[in-house]
Amino acid sequence: MAVSVLLIDDDEEFLAILAERLTIRGLEVTTAASGRAALDLFGTAWFKVVVLDLQMPDMDGLEVLERLVALNPAQQIIVLTGHATVTRGVRAMKLGAADLLEKPVDIRELVEKINTAAAGAPTVPAGNRAGRSPYPPQEETPRPGLLRTLRGLFAGGE
Amino acid sequence: MSSYHGKVDSLGLSFFGSMTASISHEIKNSLAIINENAGLLGDLVALSEKGRPLDPERMKTIADSIRRRVQSADDIVRRLNRFAHSANQPVVSSGIRDILACTIVLSERLATMKGVSLTLADGDEIEVQTLPFVIENLLWICLKNIFLLAGTGQQVMLDARREASDIVITLRCTPEIPVKQLESSVAAEGQPLIFFLRVQVQADPDGSSLHLRMPIRFIE
Repeated sequence: MAVSVLLIDDDEEFLAILAERLTIRGLEVTTAASGRAALDLFGTAWFKVVVLDLQMPDMDGLEVLERLVALNPAQQIIVLTGHATVTRGVRAMKLGAADLLEKPVDIRELVEKINTAAAGAPTVPAGNRAGRSPYPPQEETPRPGLLRTLRGLFAGGE
Repeated sequence: MSSYHGKVDSLGLSFFGSMTASISHEIKNSLAIINENAGLLGDLVALSEKGRPLDPERMKTIADSIRRRVQSADDIVRRLNRFAHSANQPVVSSGIRDILACTIVLSERLATMKGVSLTLADGDEIEVQTLPFVIENLLWICLKNIFLLAGTGQQVMLDARREASDIVITLRCTPEIPVKQLESSVAAEGQPLIFFLRVQVQADPDGSSLHLRMPIRFIE
């Protein structure tokens, strides 16, 4: 079964092209051009992995991240942003991001991260909202990819 | 260097940092689109090798998008270059509307993130003898504080007029925001710049505006 992915980014052109490229690679992609649109979608559908931009006009990406995690603590969320400062990267990690990538991104790396995140996601049938909650408490697991990215940010500064 | 000049420099460095960080993010966004478009071209060519025909119209659309984004990135770099030069300019003769327009362009991305739109009122250009970077810095402090008080949908119109030997810059906020509070925050945060440029900061609650009055010629 194809991995379901929700892409959230306010740049609609970026969203459309990346969605097409991920679809070519066999992923089932839904897009949202704002944090609010994503939260609306989240109320009606289930996604194995969310790929989230941090800087959006209508709602800050960290706020979207926080809300998505509040709705589903087991949600696998990859932050994909051109604005990954150390402070925001650490905050994203603390809020529960599974990984963090900077734009421009290598598509192979992104697909690899999505598949890794999907492997760690609970299996819930699409559209089965009743099955979403409550999720079993998740154990804290190491996130080597995220830690590597954060180390890179520290090396590169803000 | 006196501690007073040090404060002006310190505010300037912080302003320069905020603006260049914002501009570099814009460049990254353009690069991300160019990267995805180039990747998509590669994907479509790879698919054509497996038998899916290439659509010339699609190729044209992708090429156009790349061209557009390269142009946009080039505009951003020009803006960065102009801004970088303004930081080391001495007192120059400059159009005040040009300074306001430059500030709007620099602040636009951060304003959009806050749901605020910035416009420049129509009017004739007025030549001033000043340090454009310091005025832009003070205007940025005003805008930053407006962002803190404003909600989504806030509009800010910047205008300038000559009054005798002064120039008066106005930031008009629609809908109304507590401009008295804005005046206090700007006076506190921008104090060294206000002193340096000899600016009078004045709130006009009736007009929901903040006025910055300063001599048309910078006085050392």
